[in-house]
Amino acid sequence: MSKDMSCNPEGGCACSGKKAEAAPVESVSSRRNFLKSASMLSVNSLLGTAALMTMSDDARANTEWAEWFQGNYRLMSDEEKALARGRLERRYSREYAKTVIVDGTPAQEGVLMGYALNIKKCIGCRRCAKACVEENNQSRGKDQDMEWIRVLKMEKGEFSKEKMNQGYPEGLGIQVGGNAYSPAGVVLEGEHYYQADAVPEKDSVYMPIACMQCEKPPCVKVCPVRTTYREADGPVVIDYNWCIGCRMCMSACPYWARRFNWSDPNLPKEAMNPVTHYLGNRPRMKGVVEKCTFCIQRTRKGRYPACVEVCPVGARKFGNLLDPESEVSRIIARKHVFRLKAEQNTFPKFFYFMD
Amino acid sequence: MKNNVFLPTFFLLWCAGWTSALADEVKCFESRKGASEVTQRMIGENLPNVKCSPKTGAVLWWGDPFDGTVPMGDMPIADADYTRGKALVKPRSDKVGLLPLCGNTCHTGVLPSGFPQNKDSRQLIMMHQAIVLDATKLPHGRSAIWCLDCHHPKERNKLVDHRDNPISFDQPQKLCGKCHGEVYRDWREGIHGKRIGEWASTGTKRWFVCTECHNPHNVQHGERNRGIAQHQPEVAPALPKGMKTADHERRHHDSARH
Repeated sequence: MSKDMSCNPEGGCACSGKKAEAAPVESVSSRRNFLKSASMLSVNSLLGTAALMTMSDDARANTEWAEWFQGNYRLMSDEEKALARGRLERRYSREYAKTVIVDGTPAQEGVLMGYALNIKKCIGCRRCAKACVEENNQSRGKDQDMEWIRVLKMEKGEFSKEKMNQGYPEGLGIQVGGNAYSPAGVVLEGEHYYQADAVPEKDSVYMPIACMQCEKPPCVKVCPVRTTYREADGPVVIDYNWCIGCRMCMSACPYWARRFNWSDPNLPKEAMNPVTHYLGNRPRMKGVVEKCTFCIQRTRKGRYPACVEVCPVGARKFGNLLDPESEVSRIIARKHVFRLKAEQNTFPKFFYFMD
Repeated sequence: MKNNVFLPTFFLLWCAGWTSALADEVKCFESRKGASEVTQRMIGENLPNVKCSPKTGAVLWWGDPFDGTVPMGDMPIADADYTRGKALVKPRSDKVGLLPLCGNTCHTGVLPSGFPQNKDSRQLIMMHQAIVLDATKLPHGRSAIWCLDCHHPKERNKLVDHRDNPISFDQPQKLCGKCHGEVYRDWREGIHGKRIGEWASTGTKRWFVCTECHNPHNVQHGERNRGIAQHQPEVAPALPKGMKTADHERRHHDSARH
């Protein structure tokens, strides 16, 4: 990214560079002054308008001008961050007809969030995926059903003679990776839309996947506007306001973890969770990418993620990787642990383990 | 432990009046259906105590993880993990339907005089058949144990340890750990089982005790032979727009190409 693209931390001005061409420094500053005064004017006039249409729940009508011109959250000063969150709180509270908190708690010193999942315990009940939706304000309904956690059903069994050619080039036996005709990854190794009366089903194992919060996240590497980044305590987060919706991160992610809002999210007012974090579960808009953040709005306040709390078999564990007494550290010390696609050198902080 | 069959009449009547009064309330279960029910209510502005799944009736989300909990109390090993943070449990006593009766109606320890108090396996009568159909083939411990290996012979509202000391129904881990030592060790350190609340190792947590998730009267579940019963799953995610079926997931890509 070139130098003039990175936003000036003092003013939310340069975000106009999102659409406009980068300008020389002097003209940026003069234009910034112009935009500042212009936006102040507009804010003032809009505040009057807002008073007239207080009960409006249209997100676009409620969006204050300053929100359109704010910078990248990562580069904002503390005051700018507070202003940005205040704007969102006003907008969401009007939109969802309740007091919405947009929190901005920063990363704690000495914390590296880690996750462990007992793959032998998971029964595939999908409660984690639904709890996540309750907590994180995803879009619901038929048009855009968004779940950050995917529970994959897999066949239990061994490599048998009859199965030698399934999913792999014929005549070559086992060859991981597939070929042009029989692509690996769409074989019967992960069934996402399985239907069942009772789980676990016979001869099935279940593997939930979500964002692995990589230490070397490929999604962060490809983001052209650097709106997704790794926080100091571990989770990879997104500033939804700065996202341009190019979906490069989705194609870079090896874990199928990111979701895109193809249309306006459908979030019922009564179901909306009013306790939110700027980088976490605040309501998203059309055209932005979202994903698991280890429930940043909860974990930064000390609370377990929602999926950990809901798991009926206690397969999900969460804790501080830097604390040797934490549940996750003990699991890594004592149990058989693996990380998904470790060969990709993404260094996930999501560990699968077995008893 | 279900309080729906073979109950004394007065208990049934009391039960019926109670349930009809609460007919409009939403009841969901926390971990095990029929043994961990909780009633939905508001504990703050826009804050329910639990959010429940419309499909399965399972609790999906806790507004207050410590709602209705009490301190776990003393545990036998002093230096174990639970002393570092604050450990809370939800009392089990009110979930055990027969408990108010068993201590003073049939098994007082003195009366009735005919009731044997040894651990010899024998058939049960009356209301107990709703809990265990054939007590000589208890689906726990491969028929090697019987009721009074876990239930106190004289104080029927208590469990019992190896030295005939009573154990509260709120602390079944003291009993279960007698045989399941490895699991007990993992549970103590947070590797086995479930806790909700604060994730820090020094934080306040609500611990789920053994019988909140496992049915002690049937841990084998027939052919399944596992400690957790089958659950009804939540609905599958909606198919992406334009996708008619998910059949592609159920096909093997073999040499005969599709």
